[in-house]
Amino acid sequence: MLILSRKPGESIVIDGRITVKIMRLEGDMVKLGIEAPIQVPVHRQEVYDEIQKNNQEALTPTVAKLPRLTAKASPTPPRAVRNPLPHAHQR
Amino acid sequence: MNTLEMMPTERHATNGNSVIQLPYGLLGFERVQNYILLTRPEEEPFLWFQMVGETKHAFLVVPPHFVVADYAPDLSELDVAFLQLDDPSDAFILNIVTIRGHGEVTVNLKGPIVINRRTLIGKQIIPVNASEYAIRHPLPLS
Repeated sequence: MLILSRKPGESIVIDGRITVKIMRLEGDMVKLGIEAPIQVPVHRQEVYDEIQKNNQEALTPTVAKLPRLTAKASPTPPRAVRNPLPHAHQR
Repeated sequence: MNTLEMMPTERHATNGNSVIQLPYGLLGFERVQNYILLTRPEEEPFLWFQMVGETKHAFLVVPPHFVVADYAPDLSELDVAFLQLDDPSDAFILNIVTIRGHGEVTVNLKGPIVINRRTLIGKQIIPVNASEYAIRHPLPLS
């Protein structure tokens, strides 16, 4: 891992197109300003971690009793559910 | 809560056993890339997203329009390009359901699985607007 020392107001540049700037220090908090092209997703590490944890909790025994969903008005016809992948090519 | 007990053998694969490929896997299950989607009319709108070769466990999933009327995950351009989504209608979206016990069932709106209907390539996406959605959205149960 590359470790750089930066002061508030200073930046690093990644790949010539992503800028990470140290905005300010607030106690034990560092405020970062990130400028990246729209096509570069930027997320907190916790988002990945919580989705990973949720996935692990979600693995369900296939004999599980299923809940009944309350009938709910749906703007989309349920055709997609009866034939979820209607246009898929056979592989 | 009404429940239905189902045997997995009574479910049938959608789309003629076609394998759905997730080249990056699901987060936490990166090594597992091949899935099939199982359905049974009595279990609708739920479907089972099952790893190929694994029959004892699977991911319970639901198309999001059964849960929230206005679900609109905003995909990054990288994800659109990776999935080769030429048109929004190419995208088939599934959200993972978790049965947590004590009658609590939640659906993950923060990390949807997006599948290209034409290519059957999919990816678990973190939408650009992920912060608008809950990872434990409570399911309305009867």
